[in-house]
Amino acid sequence: MKKKLVAMLALTMAATLAFTGCGKKEDGKTADGKTKVRFASWDTAEDADAQQAMVDKFNEQHDDIEVVLEAYGGEFDTKIAAGMGAKDTPDVMYMWNYPAYAGGLEPLDSYMEEEGEGYKDNFYETLWDYNSLDGKVYGIPIGFTTHALFYNKDIFAEAGIDEPTNDWTWDDVKEAAKAIESKTGKKGFSFQMKPDPYDYEMYLWSNDAAYCDEEGNLDGNLNSDKSKEVFQMFQDMAKEGYAVATEKSGTDEFRAGSTGMYVYGSWSINSFNEDGLNYGVVDIPAFKGASHDSVSILSSSGISMSADSKNKEAAWEFIKFWTSEEMNKERIGRELPVLKTVVETEGIMEQPEYVAFYTMLEQSSGYTPASFIIDTWSELSSDLSLSFERVYNPSALEDVSAVLDEAAAK
Amino acid sequence: MKMSKTSKVIIYILLGIMAVYFLSPFVYMFFTAFKTEAEAIAYPPKLFPAKWLFENFANAWNSQPFGTYLVNSLLVTIGTTVGQVISCSLVAYGFARFNFKGKNVMFMILLSTMMIPWDVTMIPQYMEFQMFGWINTLKPLIVPAWFGSAYYIFLMRQFLMGVPKDFEEAARIDGANAFQIYWKIFMPILKPSLILVGVLNMISVWNDYLGPLIFLQDRSKYTLALGLAQFKGVHETQIIPMLCVTIIMIVPPIIIFIIAQKYIVEGTSGSIK
Amino acid sequence: MKQKRFLKTATPYFFVLPWIIGFLVFTIGPLIFSLIMSFFDWPLIGSPEFVGFGNYIEMFTKDEQFKKSLVISLKYAAIFVPLNMIIALFLAMLITQPVKGVRVFRTIYYIPTVISGVAVSILWGWILNGDYGVLNYLLSLIGIDGPKWLVDPAWAIVAVIIASAFGVGSMMLIFYTDIKNIPIDVYEAANLDGATPARQFFSITLPIITPTILFNLITSIISSFQQVTLVMLLTGGGPLKSTYFYGLMTYNNAFKHHKLGYASANAWVMFIIILILTALVFKSSSAWVFYETEAGGAKQKKGGKK
Repeated sequence: MKKKLVAMLALTMAATLAFTGCGKKEDGKTADGKTKVRFASWDTAEDADAQQAMVDKFNEQHDDIEVVLEAYGGEFDTKIAAGMGAKDTPDVMYMWNYPAYAGGLEPLDSYMEEEGEGYKDNFYETLWDYNSLDGKVYGIPIGFTTHALFYNKDIFAEAGIDEPTNDWTWDDVKEAAKAIESKTGKKGFSFQMKPDPYDYEMYLWSNDAAYCDEEGNLDGNLNSDKSKEVFQMFQDMAKEGYAVATEKSGTDEFRAGSTGMYVYGSWSINSFNEDGLNYGVVDIPAFKGASHDSVSILSSSGISMSADSKNKEAAWEFIKFWTSEEMNKERIGRELPVLKTVVETEGIMEQPEYVAFYTMLEQSSGYTPASFIIDTWSELSSDLSLSFERVYNPSALEDVSAVLDEAAAK
Repeated sequence: MKMSKTSKVIIYILLGIMAVYFLSPFVYMFFTAFKTEAEAIAYPPKLFPAKWLFENFANAWNSQPFGTYLVNSLLVTIGTTVGQVISCSLVAYGFARFNFKGKNVMFMILLSTMMIPWDVTMIPQYMEFQMFGWINTLKPLIVPAWFGSAYYIFLMRQFLMGVPKDFEEAARIDGANAFQIYWKIFMPILKPSLILVGVLNMISVWNDYLGPLIFLQDRSKYTLALGLAQFKGVHETQIIPMLCVTIIMIVPPIIIFIIAQKYIVEGTSGSIK
Repeated sequence: MKQKRFLKTATPYFFVLPWIIGFLVFTIGPLIFSLIMSFFDWPLIGSPEFVGFGNYIEMFTKDEQFKKSLVISLKYAAIFVPLNMIIALFLAMLITQPVKGVRVFRTIYYIPTVISGVAVSILWGWILNGDYGVLNYLLSLIGIDGPKWLVDPAWAIVAVIIASAFGVGSMMLIFYTDIKNIPIDVYEAANLDGATPARQFFSITLPIITPTILFNLITSIISSFQQVTLVMLLTGGGPLKSTYFYGLMTYNNAFKHHKLGYASANAWVMFIIILILTALVFKSSSAWVFYETEAGGAKQKKGGKK
């Protein structure tokens, strides 16, 4: 009797499996025999429609390829991680975190060579640093942002002081912030209480320091005097009361007119313009003792191909389309163009809110983020994040030197 | 049951306090949905919008193919709810009203399946569904529900355990078989808890975005909850459309709840009322 | 006759068959797979490497965060589970009161449960923001200098508990359904005996609903250990990792650090802990949970359904 039961169970299971297995389709083809290319993007709802229109355009131009857009928004990383873990990665995908994913991506150097010399040169050089790993290119740039200093013109007028310029140092920022605080009661400057360690390294670079050396040693770098100086400066600004450490990026506070200045990427420019905010953008202030102008981190967006893709030819065809001049122009307003020719012909440099980001881009070549050097960056990053919080969280405000020494010793 | 005036007053006061607590974030959310984004983040905050932007809702709804998402959400929600109610009541009945070999071990295994977080079974599950050819279809979201979920089985079992043992004796003497007893005698008296399982499942499926995120690919397959999550980007969040769609999404579950609570009360022959 | 006996033995299995099939087809494979993964160094990309108990040893000997997160989750469970159950039961009692308009209140209490989590957590971030938040603004109007909810580690866990208490609606509904199913004549008899409402609650209502109390207890222990979404969106595990729950740690190990093997080991340790807690609860339940199906003279009469 027991046997019967077992046999019955086995039969049912087999039936279920058979039933479910029959829905399987041949990989990489659509129903009408076109080559199917899956394209995953992280754009949010607002941009996804525009993207869909561009994808449709590509599909119209190609009889044999059908690109399907998959928009995952802020959950992009979870989805890509799950896909890669299960060996079902989209053929083409947006990419920024090359150190984490490069193993699953196709090197694109040989594809680019076929396009001729000029192809690569038309992109801003610095961008390639951020889209490569160990000398191989894994993504073609489609957009980027550097960071810059945003300031609220109305608040500066109210305080009756001069607006920031490109050659400001942090001392000037402090003076202005003090003046704003005393005359308007608003905070003069804001910075993040829990900055992303990836972004934050730009301040160290600007002051002739870095998290680590080329071998990835933290000790003597993260806790060097030059590095400590940076942390101390921000902590002092908050302690002295004219600056505030914000819980999130500081964008909400800046938009609401609660703070006079902050450093951030170009992500919020559209929102500021919609609000009618009266603001200006200049280069990141320099450190007085530093040997050079300030440097910015790059948040770069690239487009990559999966190493497992079965339709690499078609995928490259689409990547070419997506990184073309035409598409760079289409994306203006959502992404800063990455092609020199497009920046020139579209007169991007004449728009005051964008100039600083390109100046910062040109000033920032030759720096390698620690995430590209240290294999265990992801874990180090969360340790660093905790250390930074200990320095900046108003309920901690621990001693900079001690915290950094401890972090470097790990 | 009769009630004195003072105890009525006390009850109303308590009801009122709790209502304020539960409603205030929602009220704030509701008014914010009509504001511009600049107004929403303004400080000091204001409750009412300067101008009621009713078009926010239409704009939000039209910013993505939400009509398609709605259809998908309905398919998944209805598909799973029917499946859960049928399968869970059957399985729970088996666990609660019979003694059989291996019952306790099986029940422990059933409970155990709730204790492993989804994060680590998700990738193998993905591979399995891929093998079935189910990725980018609604099947991974619907089909498993037809085989019961531990949470609802456990819940139904608790209700079934509360029914006295001699309950089915009479029917058994009349010659009814086990399925007839289950169907004709237990289902009617269990109506409230069946509805409860339905309501609970409906809401969790309606709002689930992780499952759809992982198993779906094309936008034509997305559900409302996944569409909603699209408003949150890596750096920026489109908060106003997000709130609008959230509010729209509350409506169907609330309507279902209002209908369902009537049945939860009426299901039993002898309720407090 | 033989066939009849077979039918009788097999009947219960027919009822539980859907679950058995589902378990075999959908559940057991991934479960075993994750257990196997926990003995490997399993990166997202590249080939896995067998490490034996390496992940488990690392967890208990090297990983300080493991212990810290475990303590945070235990603490959270110790506050959240009883608090939520008391609130749920209190609300369930309130909404069973025969007063006018009670239906409206029922719906109101249920609304927060229905609202999708993503938008709500952003809203909570605004409400609880220390410097520019709505709550502290309101408090400042009445002269109170509110705490920095999401910045001060001492308050952040309170903030998480406040926010998660809004999801009490499901538990409330479960209690409510159960209470509503208690036959009225049970109370009528008690009324005649002159029992006070409090007395009725403790000697009639509470014993009858013990099966659902057990259910809510176990499921909320499980969910409090698996709490991820809310803390991820609301606090991100901060400030100063004070809300870095065990579930969040597991999630981050898998999806941020891409250490799938280690995350699986995290999950299986969590499994053992929850299993032990559940077993203890079950063991104790024979003392305080009353099932009608079990031979229990006095209670059976009281709760008996007609």
